[in-house]
Amino acid sequence: METNKKKIFYTKDIEMRFGGLYALSEINIDIFEDELLGMIGPNGSGKTTFFNVITGFYKPTSGSFYLMGEKLTGKEPFEIAKKGISRTYQISRLCLDLTVLDNILIGTHLKQSTGYFTTLFNKKKLMKEVDEYKEKAIHLLKIFNPAIIERLYEPVGGLPQIDRRRVEVSRAMIAAPKIILLDEPSAGMSPDETEVFMDDIRKIRAEMTNVTIMIIEHDMSVISSVSERVVALNFGKKIAEGTYKEVFNNKEVRKAYLGEEYNHE
Amino acid sequence: MKKKNKFLDILKIASIETLIFFLIMVFFRIESTWILLATLALIGGTLLYTRIYKKQTESIKALFASNRSTVLIVLVLLLLLYPIVSPIIIPQSTYWTLILIQTGIYIMVALGLNIQLGSTGMMNLASAAFYGVGAYTAGMLALKLNWPALITIPVAGIAAALVSLVLFLPVYKTKGHYLALVTLAFGYMLALAADNIEFIGGPQGLKNIPSINLFGYDFLSKVGNFHFYTNYYYFVLALVILTIIISHRFFNSWIGLTLSYIRDDEPAAKGCGVNSNRWKLLSLTTGCFFMGVAGAIYALMIGFISPPNFQFAQSLLIVSIVIIGGMDNILGVIVGAIILVIIPEKFRVITQYRVMLYGILIVVVLLSRPRGLIPFGARKYEASVLGARNGKEGPDGNK
Repeated sequence: METNKKKIFYTKDIEMRFGGLYALSEINIDIFEDELLGMIGPNGSGKTTFFNVITGFYKPTSGSFYLMGEKLTGKEPFEIAKKGISRTYQISRLCLDLTVLDNILIGTHLKQSTGYFTTLFNKKKLMKEVDEYKEKAIHLLKIFNPAIIERLYEPVGGLPQIDRRRVEVSRAMIAAPKIILLDEPSAGMSPDETEVFMDDIRKIRAEMTNVTIMIIEHDMSVISSVSERVVALNFGKKIAEGTYKEVFNNKEVRKAYLGEEYNHE
Repeated sequence: MKKKNKFLDILKIASIETLIFFLIMVFFRIESTWILLATLALIGGTLLYTRIYKKQTESIKALFASNRSTVLIVLVLLLLLYPIVSPIIIPQSTYWTLILIQTGIYIMVALGLNIQLGSTGMMNLASAAFYGVGAYTAGMLALKLNWPALITIPVAGIAAALVSLVLFLPVYKTKGHYLALVTLAFGYMLALAADNIEFIGGPQGLKNIPSINLFGYDFLSKVGNFHFYTNYYYFVLALVILTIIISHRFFNSWIGLTLSYIRDDEPAAKGCGVNSNRWKLLSLTTGCFFMGVAGAIYALMIGFISPPNFQFAQSLLIVSIVIIGGMDNILGVIVGAIILVIIPEKFRVITQYRVMLYGILIVVVLLSRPRGLIPFGARKYEASVLGARNGKEGPDGNK
């Protein structure tokens, strides 16, 4: 495991308990700068719960996590977003009635001049920001699918599923975060669409240097083709960590997914 | 050639608007039941026309949409001329001028509620109560302390905003039905308080509130031959235009975007860094500020306010204006106010059936357009109410 990359994020014994159920326990995961980390695990293993904890939607019952050395445990989601963690959601969270542009521009919220004074009296400044961020949004959409740009002012609900995913990813990207969390981005996609989507991920990497991406996936073809490192969960515990090959061949992992010993070619 | 086409367009728009203007005045004038029904048939016929002759309707719509500054300028001109022209056509023009002023005041209240309900998705069933806080504040300050209108009106708005802050602070994190119930309680609380506090008049309310006196000009004075209501008409018209401009700026800005996102998906907004709690409070207090200002004007104009003016029934009317007119849509709110304030006044002619017809109207509208008559449109980040920015590119982002 190469360690010349800087560690920018780590968790310390995260435990997430819901009553008697330990959704996460003893979770110690490091995330390095500029890497693409994959997270796999059977359904219910705690992957999305992990994302929810490190973005502040759940407060862990014990343990803590740090970004760039700063303790983020207990902070609200909007504070964590401010520190530089953006995410997408397992089931797309877009405002379907709002325009494509709106859904992307909300990603720039932390950089917007949202005060009453500017809005009411400094139109010039506001419009300049609108233009600037709109250019950014168009730039991102060009990378994924220029066709979306023609529908910039249409409700995002009218877009096909894969384009909606792209809009959601653009929303996370436009915030220029330190870490982007993608939660099962290829869910619901056909094999063809997934191929295209893997290309999308490579394009994100090319576009955003120095950004770490962590991706939860069920589709192993995606994980194997884009991840540099993989971490595997089962029943809320980390059971393996390493390259895709290492994790894929790990006995615990195979047992988690396939039941008993299974000879894979 | 282009100039000629443009001129023709302007002519077309001006004639259509002037025609509607006169039809409305005729509508005001009519007393007899049968001719009233004929007017309603005309409206129904127009709606049918738009259904059947889609192409012509679309071209008219396009004409208006692409010449928005013309439409608005003609509209404002007609509104400015109204008090001068109406006495010629309508015998009871003073009454209708008062109704129009009242409509304008309700538009201001409804635009305030629109920020809370339309933009942010927070139900507030106590709008009349905050309107009342503004009315009583201005009334008391004018009556007991003789403060001038230019001070009492903004202070009344701030008072309503502060009262809303105090009331909502413990409960604004609740959602949906619970928030609605809580605001329902607020409304009753405030109305009961007004009824029981002798200091502000109790059940009798406040009377003889001094009228507006702006830099020495007394609003009670006649304007030439016209009734003193004319003063208030222009005053309210100016303030309504101002409120519309402010609402428009809010909508077409980061503020509008953030509030809409909180309304439609609050967790996603939080994930993007939105401190939704702070924004919700901001939305509530700002909306209540508008309501308070509107209430102040009402108090100063009528000169007499009492608890029955600020009950749940009035709150319900404001909520209906926003929901039926169109949530998060300024034009929708205006249309809603016009329909829900003016039509019941007209139906006084058929007094027995007034409430029933009013109810039927609401049901019909909600059945045919559940998202309101004019649902919210795409946010284009327009720089001004007058329409798209000049010289800027269209949606395809090519320039």
